[in-house]
Amino acid sequence: MEDNNNIVFKATNNGLILIMNESDDFEKIYGQVEKRLNAAGRFFKGSSLAVRYRGKKFTEDEEEKLRRLMEEKTEAEIKSFEEDKGYDVKIPDKNFEIEENDEPGQYFSSFYFRDIEEGITRFYKGTVRSGQLISFNGNVVILGDVNPGAEIQAAGNIIVLGYLRGIVHAGMDGNKEAVVVALNLQPVQLRIANIITRPPDGTENKGAIVPEIAYIKDDQVYIERLLPQR
Amino acid sequence: MGEVIVITSGKGGVGKTTTVANVGTGLALRNKKVVLMDADIGLRNLDLVMGLENRVVFDLVDVVEGRCKLRNALVKDKRFEGLFLLPAAQTRDKTALKPEQMIKLCEELRKEYDYTLIDCPAGIEQGFHNAVVGADRAIVVTTPEVSAVRDADRVIGLLEAKELRNPRLLINRIRVEMVKRGEMMSIEDVKDILAVDLIGIVPDDEKIVVSTNRGEPIISDQKSLAGQAYRNIAQRIDGEDVPFLNLEDDEGFVFKLKKLLGIKTT
Repeated sequence: MEDNNNIVFKATNNGLILIMNESDDFEKIYGQVEKRLNAAGRFFKGSSLAVRYRGKKFTEDEEEKLRRLMEEKTEAEIKSFEEDKGYDVKIPDKNFEIEENDEPGQYFSSFYFRDIEEGITRFYKGTVRSGQLISFNGNVVILGDVNPGAEIQAAGNIIVLGYLRGIVHAGMDGNKEAVVVALNLQPVQLRIANIITRPPDGTENKGAIVPEIAYIKDDQVYIERLLPQR
Repeated sequence: MGEVIVITSGKGGVGKTTTVANVGTGLALRNKKVVLMDADIGLRNLDLVMGLENRVVFDLVDVVEGRCKLRNALVKDKRFEGLFLLPAAQTRDKTALKPEQMIKLCEELRKEYDYTLIDCPAGIEQGFHNAVVGADRAIVVTTPEVSAVRDADRVIGLLEAKELRNPRLLINRIRVEMVKRGEMMSIEDVKDILAVDLIGIVPDDEKIVVSTNRGEPIISDQKSLAGQAYRNIAQRIDGEDVPFLNLEDDEGFVFKLKKLLGIKTT
């Protein structure tokens, strides 16, 4: 990542949500919040904010420290500063299996991208060719083909308006709700969250070209027509 | 202790990847534990030729950068027992690997596998150095063309400078009827220039194209002459008591080739 700052600020109807990385220690988070507020803190001046945080647990002491930092930097009234309890942090199953392999080195954070209904999306126009990797912490839409040897990774959904013949990984950080849609879905390998599938050996291109959707149900990848048959 | 063998050529398109796939399969058929390592980072092909593309999850760069364990990255072959593929990373380039990392990796592989065949990238830059640095011996692949022979000569020189003495020569894609007509360099011509020992001669075979595209090594085709040639090479690599390829045998082999091809073409 070009930006080492892992803190995400998210505005809601009734305040602000801080999203942080569980693996970072308090010192680091504190420094990063400070840096963010130095850059943008004035924006909140004079307002009154209810602040909640996700992804990390703090002691009361640490909460107080962050609260004071926010008050000082934003010059806003911090009405409250507490953990976001309404949000259930799902811990994805870390012991996922890859065929014939155990102990995968991949790691899923306990907090993952959830904005697949609506959320930050990257649009890529053109053919994604062998050796190219498009990785985005959000949804990805490809306006073109994805060739064999190319790889698309997204924290959210992947939509390909063209042939999908490469490797795709939707819900990269663990979201099993993520889907993959393509006008022609023929991936070399398809991954959603921690599930990896590949087409069975010896299957060549299917006859008709219809848009298809891939999703997970009961830890199985299902592939269906996107639209009902007319 | 296993052995690490690099298959290199300098020039591209002479058949390094095909050789690795077939000789590796041949060794596995002799009940050896074999790893085929694709060192061509950014232009990986070996997984395609082996028909294992859709099973690749982790790759060589993931291993050296510690994202997964070596055995997690090894793809088990779908047909042959004891044969594994260590794929190259496709979305990276040659600079993703350092020589020290390669040496470490080769040491690890040597402990557990009888043979590790490294598919070297074309060229003599970083990728070549990485592929060669951990190897115990080298096989130089060439075709009977002046350009391929020139590049093979250069590579042999570089290998010697890297203390990889006595590389063995594999002459690929020989067309006996053209040699007979004097339109193609003969095995003797190539040997005269390069002055290294032969490990095998592989005749040109249209079936190679088919087998490569299908992802099925031709070595399993009992009827194919090229497949037979690869089986012999695997034997020579493996055989402790298989005699060193001497000139007589060599001529005998070529004679056989001529005869077989002669029957085929007329």
